[in-house]
Amino acid sequence: MPNRLAGIGGREVRLALWPLTAALAVTTLALGRSHPDDSFAGRAVLGGAIEVGAALALAAAGLLFWASRPQNRIGPLLVAAAPAWLLPEWGNNSEGGVAPLFTLGLVGFCACAPFVAHVALAYPSGRLQQQPARALAAIGYAAAVGLIGLAPTTVFDPRAEFCTACPRNLVLVHANAGLAEEISRLGIRVAIGWAILTGLLLTVRLVRSSRPALKATGPVLAATIAYLGFACADLWHGMRRGYLTNDPTDVHLWRLQGATLILLSAGVVWGLIRARRTRTSVAQLVVELGQSPRVGGARDMLASALGDPNLQLAYRRRSAGGYVDIEGDPVAPGTAADRATTPLVRDGRELAVVVHDAELLNDPGLFEDAVAAARLAVENESLQAEVRAQMNEIRASRARIVAAADAERRHLERDLHDGAQQRLVGLSLGVRLLRNEAARSGTRDRITELDDADAELRLALAELRDIAHGIYPAVLSDEGLAAALETLSERLPAGVRLGTLPDGRFPASVEAAAYFAAAEIVRDLPEADGGASIEVLCKDGGLVVAVERAGHMVDADERLVEIADRVGALDGEIDVRSRTNGHIRMKAKIPCV
Amino acid sequence: MRVVIADDAMLMREGLARLLSDAGFEVTGKYADGDELVRRMGAAGAEVAIVDIRMPPTHTDEGLVAAERIRHSHPEVGVLVLSQYLESRYAMRLLESHPDRVGYLLKERVSDIAVLGDALKRVHEGECVVDPTIVARLVKRSRNDALADLTEREREVLGLMAEGHSNRGICDKLFLSPKTVEAHVGRILQKLNLPESVEYHRRVLAVLTYLRQTAPQE
Repeated sequence: MPNRLAGIGGREVRLALWPLTAALAVTTLALGRSHPDDSFAGRAVLGGAIEVGAALALAAAGLLFWASRPQNRIGPLLVAAAPAWLLPEWGNNSEGGVAPLFTLGLVGFCACAPFVAHVALAYPSGRLQQQPARALAAIGYAAAVGLIGLAPTTVFDPRAEFCTACPRNLVLVHANAGLAEEISRLGIRVAIGWAILTGLLLTVRLVRSSRPALKATGPVLAATIAYLGFACADLWHGMRRGYLTNDPTDVHLWRLQGATLILLSAGVVWGLIRARRTRTSVAQLVVELGQSPRVGGARDMLASALGDPNLQLAYRRRSAGGYVDIEGDPVAPGTAADRATTPLVRDGRELAVVVHDAELLNDPGLFEDAVAAARLAVENESLQAEVRAQMNEIRASRARIVAAADAERRHLERDLHDGAQQRLVGLSLGVRLLRNEAARSGTRDRITELDDADAELRLALAELRDIAHGIYPAVLSDEGLAAALETLSERLPAGVRLGTLPDGRFPASVEAAAYFAAAEIVRDLPEADGGASIEVLCKDGGLVVAVERAGHMVDADERLVEIADRVGALDGEIDVRSRTNGHIRMKAKIPCV
Repeated sequence: MRVVIADDAMLMREGLARLLSDAGFEVTGKYADGDELVRRMGAAGAEVAIVDIRMPPTHTDEGLVAAERIRHSHPEVGVLVLSQYLESRYAMRLLESHPDRVGYLLKERVSDIAVLGDALKRVHEGECVVDPTIVARLVKRSRNDALADLTEREREVLGLMAEGHSNRGICDKLFLSPKTVEAHVGRILQKLNLPESVEYHRRVLAVLTYLRQTAPQE
């Protein structure tokens, strides 16, 4: 459909329509002035100004819109509303008129309203998107042109009724004044209902509009609602007598309708100017993007250039599926009813999607310009988003690896404790029972052997206990960090000082990182002069582990790297200061996710 | 003496039962978990319950929980908790909830029937028992300032106090007269800045708490 419109709406056609409409308006005005009693405008200056003004305003707004968006129906519809606005003058004209124009005036007496309503219902996309809007547009044409215009005209002979000098009614089939009045009255009733419903629908749309949409369509909708109100009042006025004419009340309401049509045209033109201004800000966008490639700037600039603060820019992952934001965090592009999703494609590959106010699609040129301007920045940022997303994944996988290793350690400790240690204790018990039997039977050599075996078993048990504790102290998972560090200090030489320790529990991975960071530093503290201190503070939602030790730390570099890896896997960092005498001070900051 | 045993390891449970029977104890019940032990407590008519610290379902501190429940529901029954953990923390938890008729012994020690029998006897008589290994480690690592002021003998007495021995028990262990022991105890409490008139059960806790402290803030 739009293509056909574009086909008929060539530049030449539009250029020809300017003088054509102007000529039509002036001719109509002249016609009215020659028979002022039969005319709405008459000889009054205001009437004439409104008559010509409304026609020219509608035509001008329509032609400008048409030129700006050739595929949109709004332009042609507005242009068509201009002659429709002038038609009643021809139908009223009684003497010396031309029969075809007179007949057209009779049939199209009320034709302006449905065109205007159609414009408002389809504004600004030009499409009647919902069923009620489509139905109302159709009913409008049927009631105004069919029931009020054509149907009564076929049985109405003006020359027999009121004016013998009138031109001939070309569509007259059989004159029946009573029937004409009846049909006309029915048509007026239907048209009143239609005007009220259309006004209501437009009011609802106006009230429900989002802010950007309100700015764009508000003036047009409001002017149309006012216009329909006056048209409705005029119909009501005409219903009592059964036909429409130009008594003083009619003239008054007609002038008000003309005034609202001028406002409506102004609203349309203002919308065009506004769009142009937005285009200027898009041009600005190109300059800004060239100057400051700020991270995340592409979204903000698109949002401000297009006047949609909620605009969302989601970058397509290259390797993996799904979308991420500029920080590389996964996002799901929004799918709200009034939002539209437009993909940005480069070399056949989707780069990103823009989720934006659906209204923006009514001016596709604008949207394309903005996106074209931001394309370089979007491309650049999509790379950054990809890198960040990969970083996030690596970080998560690092944390998972450490968590898995911790879980493995816990299992190992449990297996040792409930398996090997338990068995050795049982074995030691068995040896003791054998020894008791040997004692009863008096075999002294056997007793010594069994005692030796028992002593070995106890040594093995003690070693196994130390190993199990070193792998993962049960108290760490049972009672938390503070208890585990207290317990750790029991195993250390006398000089170890425990500072403040946080009560309460933290995520297992955080507790383990904090514990092992401290334990690793003080692991090989010499018995003599083994001064050390351990302190853990809760700070900014994370833990700060401060450990200080004296004495030479064997393999310090490797052990510190190990701590840094473990802490780094949780997005934490460590800071190590060491002095020449081997004194080491480590501070590990571990965020609690 | 009538004893019940709760341990999820069959080898341990049966071995322990045999060892105790050989030594003249009467084992009136053997259970695989804490819940069963507590349920059957009344019927078993035991005087002391031996409880493994780690039992099903979570294998963490079921033994301590069972001990608290028994001390609560059957105050006349003593509880001896067996553990593989050398950490004083678990023993403290046990003593802090009920400072009498409880004991905390390292598991491998039970094969020494003399130690086990002595611990059962003391728990039965209302004392508390803390494994000597745990106390020895605490004394060894404890801050050196105040302890350094103690004589060799006083340190020995301090260790026995921490293990839960009464003055009488210390007399028997060290072959000292009650008067001498009393004097030692008084001096130790004074040197460590602990209240001298402290009652026996509180004394054990106070001494242990003192030993567990780390070096003072600099």
